[in-house]
Parts: sequence; C-alpha cells; structure tokens
Amino acid sequence: MEKLTLDVILASLSEVGSTVLFILVGVVVLEAVLYLLFGVVFKNKYTLPILLLAPAVVGLTLLIIYPLLWEFNLSLTNMSLRRFGDKAQYTWVACQSADPGTIQNWLTDCLLRNYADVFRLPVLKQVYFFPVFGRTILWTVINVVFHVAGGLGLAILLNRPMRGRGLYRTLLILPWAIPQVIAALAWRGEFHYEYGFLNIFLTRLGLTPISWMSDPTWNFIAMCIVNIWLGIPFMMVILLGGLQSISQEYYEAAEIDGAGAWQQFRSITLPLLQPVMTPAIILGTIWTFNNFNIPFFINQNELETSDILVTALFRAAFQYNRYGFSAAFAFVIFIILLVYAVVYIKTVRIEGIYE
Amino acid sequence: MKRSLFLTLVLVVVLALIAACGGAAPTPESAPAEKAESAAPTESAAEAPAEAPAAEAVTIVMWTKEGEADGGLQYNQALAEAFMQENPNITVEVVKKKDVEELREDFQTAALAGNAPDLLWTVNDHAGPFTAAELIQPVDDLFDLSVYVEGALEAVQLDGKTWGVPISSGNHLMLLYNKKLIPEAPANTDELIAKGKELAAQGVIPLVFNQTEPFWLVPWLGGFGGKVFAEDGVTPTLNTPEMVNTLKFLYDLKYEAQIIPPESDYDGSDTLFKEGKAAMIINGDWSLSSYVEALGDDLGVAPIPQVSATGKMPAPYTAGTYFMIPAGIEGPKLEAIKSFIQFVTNEENQIKQVKELKRLPALKAAFDDEAITSDPILKGSVAQMAVGTGMPAVLEMRCNWDAMKPELQAVLADQKTPEQAAADMQAAAETCIKTLE
Repeated sequence: MEKLTLDVILASLSEVGSTVLFILVGVVVLEAVLYLLFGVVFKNKYTLPILLLAPAVVGLTLLIIYPLLWEFNLSLTNMSLRRFGDKAQYTWVACQSADPGTIQNWLTDCLLRNYADVFRLPVLKQVYFFPVFGRTILWTVINVVFHVAGGLGLAILLNRPMRGRGLYRTLLILPWAIPQVIAALAWRGEFHYEYGFLNIFLTRLGLTPISWMSDPTWNFIAMCIVNIWLGIPFMMVILLGGLQSISQEYYEAAEIDGAGAWQQFRSITLPLLQPVMTPAIILGTIWTFNNFNIPFFINQNELETSDILVTALFRAAFQYNRYGFSAAFAFVIFIILLVYAVVYIKTVRIEGIYE
Repeated sequence: MKRSLFLTLVLVVVLALIAACGGAAPTPESAPAEKAESAAPTESAAEAPAEAPAAEAVTIVMWTKEGEADGGLQYNQALAEAFMQENPNITVEVVKKKDVEELREDFQTAALAGNAPDLLWTVNDHAGPFTAAELIQPVDDLFDLSVYVEGALEAVQLDGKTWGVPISSGNHLMLLYNKKLIPEAPANTDELIAKGKELAAQGVIPLVFNQTEPFWLVPWLGGFGGKVFAEDGVTPTLNTPEMVNTLKFLYDLKYEAQIIPPESDYDGSDTLFKEGKAAMIINGDWSLSSYVEALGDDLGVAPIPQVSATGKMPAPYTAGTYFMIPAGIEGPKLEAIKSFIQFVTNEENQIKQVKELKRLPALKAAFDDEAITSDPILKGSVAQMAVGTGMPAVLEMRCNWDAMKPELQAVLADQKTPEQAAADMQAAAETCIKTLE
C-alpha cells in the first residue's frame, strides 16, 4: 500500500479538481452571459429567476434529458456487438437487417422492431416478456404485503411504554442500516446447499435440505425472504412515526365507550395511519418493483425463472449484448412505471391527503 | 435557521475554492515536470544511453481475471512489483475482476464509455466478442510469436490475425482426486459410477464439479462424440443425439447413481474437495496450485474418465490465459506494455509460473524444464491436454455458452427433459446468432 502523503492527496484532488473547476467556470460564464442578455440588453423583469434556474436547467438537461433522448434513439437502432460503440455502424433500425421479403408491417417490422420484439421474442434465452412481468407483479405484491404487515405489527408492539424500547428499536432497524449488496451477499451464503445456515438447520431437524440456488420455486422464495427481511424496518420506522402522532385521547374516549382492542385498531389506528401508510406503500411498491440488488445477487445461478423486469433488462443489455433491444425494453418498463405513478398521483389527490 | 444556512453556504464555497485550487495548483507543477521529462533524455543519454527512451513515466492499468483463492492474483501482483523494480518509470496497476464474465462485461461497457483499461489478462474466447466490437488490436506485428506454443496461439486466431499473447497454455479441465479417499482414478465412467456408489455408501461425496457452467458440460459432450459447431465452425449443433446423451448422462449421475451433490457451484465444489469431503473434482489447471497446497501428496491428477458407452475420451476445451491489448493503445504506453508482456513471458517467469501456479507455460522453451518433466501433477495435466480440443474463439461461441447455461441447469434441477433442453438450446443459440447480425 502506498502511504497517504500530501502529494497523493494533492494529486487526487487535482484529478477531481479540474472537473469541479470546469463546472464552476462554466456556471460563471453561463450566468454572466444570461445576465448581460436578459438584465442589460432586454432588461427583463425575470432576470433573477432565470439566473437562479439556469444552472439547474443545464444540469438536468445534461444528466437526464440528453441521456433519455440518447436512449430513445438507441432503442430505434440495431446496435449489437458487431455494431458497437461510437463507430456508428449501427443504424436506425433494423430495416437493413430484416429481409425485405418478410416485411409485412412497416411499423413493427421496421421502425419499431425492437419494441415489437420485446413482446414477441424471448427477452432472455427462453423466457418471454409477460411471464417476467407477471413474476415482477407477484414479487412486488408478496413483498409489500409482508413489509406492511410485518412493519405494522412491529410498530404497534414498539408503540407502548416498555423497558428497553430503544434497544429493540435499534436491533429491528439494523437490517436497514446494512448496505443492500452486503446483506444480499451475506444471505446468499446462508442459502448455500452444503454450508448455508438454513440447510444446516434443516438437516439438524432431520429434514431434507433445499436446493435454494437451482430449484426455481425455492430460489424465488429465497429472494422474497431476503427482501422481506430488508424491507420491514423501513415500514416499521415510518409507521411508528405515524402511530406516535395519533393522539392518545381517541383511545381513552374509545375505552370509555367500551371499544375492544380490535375495534380500536380498526376504527382509530388504521384510518388515522392511512395518510402515512399510503405514500409509504406506493414508495415501497416502486422500490420493490425496481429492486435490482436482491433478485440479481440472490439468483447466483442466473435462473431465468427468478428474473424480474429490471434484472432481465440488465442481462439482456450487458450479458447478451442486445443494446438496441434493451433500450426498447427499458422504455417499456419506464412506461409501466409512468402509468403507475400517474394513477398514484390521481388517487392521492382524490383522497385529499395533501390538502 | 438562517444562520446555519449561511454557514452551510460558506462551507460549500470554501470547499469549492479548495477543490478548485487543488485543481489549479498542480498546473504550474506539472509544467516543470514536463520540461524535466523532455530534458531527461539528454541527461540520461550521458549516463545510461540504453535506458534513455524509457524515461517517460507511464502507468499501465491492467484488468485481470485471476482470483485470490488459487494464488493467481498474488502472482499477478508479484510480477507487477518485480517489473516496476526493473523499470522505475513504469507503474503497473493490477485491477482484479470477480471472474471472466465480469471482466468481459465491464470491459465492453468501459470501452463504450471511452474509459477502457490498458491491458487485459484474460481467457481466449473473449477474442470473439472483443474483435467483433473492434475493441482490441492484433499482436502479430508487435511480438515474435514463433516462440510460443502453437496450440495456445491457435485459440486466439481469428480472421488470420492473432489477438492475444499467451501467458500459459492449457486452461483445461481434468479429474483431480484425493488419494486418501480413492487410491486410483477411475478409467471409465462405469468404474466412476461403481466406485462412486461405494464412496457414497461410506458417506463421502464421490464427485463434485461446477454444475452451473456449460464449460463443465463440453468435455462430456466430446466424450459422447458431439461438437457444439458444425464443420464451418459457426453453425451451432446443439440439438443432437450426442447432446441428449450427454445431458442424460449428467442427469443420471445426479438422480440415478447419485454420485454428485444435489446442488454445487464452483466455490462449493472447490471447498468440498479441499476439505476432503469430496473424493474427486473436475476442475481446471488454474486450480492445481491451491489443491497441491491443500492436499499435498494426496492429490492425484488424471484425465476425465473415458465414456464407457462410446469408448471415447472426454475432450475438455484447451486454450490458455492471454494478454489482450485494447484498440487505440499506442506510443510510449504500447512500448511499456510490450516490455511488460515480454517480462511476463520470459523463460524465468514462465518457469516460475509453472512452479507457483502449476500452469503449463506458453513459451516453448520452458516445456523442457525439469519443473514439468519431473512433476507427476503436471504430467497428468499434460496428458489431459493431449486429448483436449481447442476452444473456439468465434463470437458465435458466446451464443452457444449463453444458450447452454440455462438448459444445463434446468436438466440438473429436473425441470426439463434432456430432449427438450437440447432443442431449446439450439433454438436459443440460433436466435442469438440472428441478433448478432
């Protein structure tokens, strides 16, 4: 190992520093030009807002809008390993590579061929789009249901005076504090056939050990176990916050009226928790739907039967090198999430939670 | 609130200034450094004329597929250290990649982003995808390739050019056995199954190997008389009776004879064998040194047993490990890389590699060394290599690997019949080759 001397620090700073300097100079030049243009030449009354917004607009354009457009362009091309990189050997689709005799529909066989292929060809080697989509929904539903049920249960248990509450809370939050990848890799070790904790446990109990890695059903269950374990603390923390904001007076009043524990839970806790619970569930749904780490790392043998949409997308692009196709695939996933987000925003507005 | 916001702002500005100064400061420093460099040749010309052209400071970033478990990575690093001692102006940075697949995927992605490393230490079949995407350069004009073993060179020759410099030859699978548990290696598969059942009855796992990668499938396919490509070398021939028989054979090993564990990946098999819980393992020459260390004199090496049904020897793929040079590397950097490659493949280091890693050399001259001729393990390795077959490096092989992998796993997990799996392999490989165009 090299020692961390002043030279090393300076050298590494200079590598980062030139970029930072470039950005700073760029911002100053941009602001100066805008000021001269709007403030001095046009004397526009919105000069200050424009100056304040400009760096963010430029940043967002460079980091989000440009890549999005680039990706969309890519999704119309036939880029693959033989047509790779910026040598621009890949062309706007795939009309050239299609046999002219077989073109029946100009749209699906030519311009949008990659988009059509997402639905009519296997997205990986054997598995088609809709089974993966169905599995993704199943995965999301299972996980979110367990997250909410487990989180709510633990939050209710914690939300009462007892000794060592802080300690319990800390222990329960711990899974959330571990980086996901580390947790996934540690868990993967526990699913090992010979050396994993779970199989050793089963063998000691006199049961047959389980092929967690090669049996498709068990592999899926393994993924769910890990993700449920990881997701419960987040729900617990959020719901605990919600519970603590519910005034104790309601419960006292209910008790005077003779309401039992279940009635109190149904008629007081759940409705008053809803403003906290709904966004947490929506957020949890999107996170789970797009969870890459757990399905990718637990599924060590790369079973296609355990892939959800995002991991299938990664494999299609970076293992099987179908770049144009993968860009189209990514847009399909993007549209699914967009629809979900729009529906969510509408629902929340109707319920009037944020008003 | 306002106060803390103000403080944060001040902090940000100060940090930005520091960073900016950090960026600006080296500029005046680097200018004299350049001058010094340009002045250096005249100075050193007086002292040591031979070293004059090498005076410019060069950094080579090398990605390696070697891991720590078998000492490969440590060997890489030791070589780099020794080379840097001899050539103080060259820095070799060794970057470890998790496995060969990660190296391939990351290199393609990095090259796409214009951020590729300077040198790769990898396996032959990467030549296919890398040349298709024009990511590496041919080495024919850079080195005298006649000093290397032909078998190793052939595995990286495509379109009449050579795309890699061999570091070792072999990279083939073989049967390794623990003499404490099984004194002699089985000669054929009938013996393997009979001996295996005996061992299983004693509570020993008879045979382990990586059941998740088709690299462990192809030797048996050869033993059943099959090949993954037709004569033209690019048309997949996976849906054949030979492939069905091979898959059936592996299925029977697991479910009929029950001499392989229900689930086994690379690391799991490796550990079982090292701990003496498994009697035999099929693994590659890269693992030899770590098994010598774990088992000592109890380690035996033999060819993978003959397939009794056909009378043929299984034919593992042979190739080697290779240096590949990314496209666009030139000038002093290329010169530095050339001298590093020559350093690694000189006779002294080739024999050191034989001794430390138990890998067969790529340099013809090193084969006569008694480090090989007097070592029973290396003799076993040479015997297995003799019945092996060269691993195809064409891009279509990528499609074959990717097509075989899920089907092999499906058969071994009892999810598909061998017939169905063979048909699906062929279909997937053909679809894949279509998307290459």
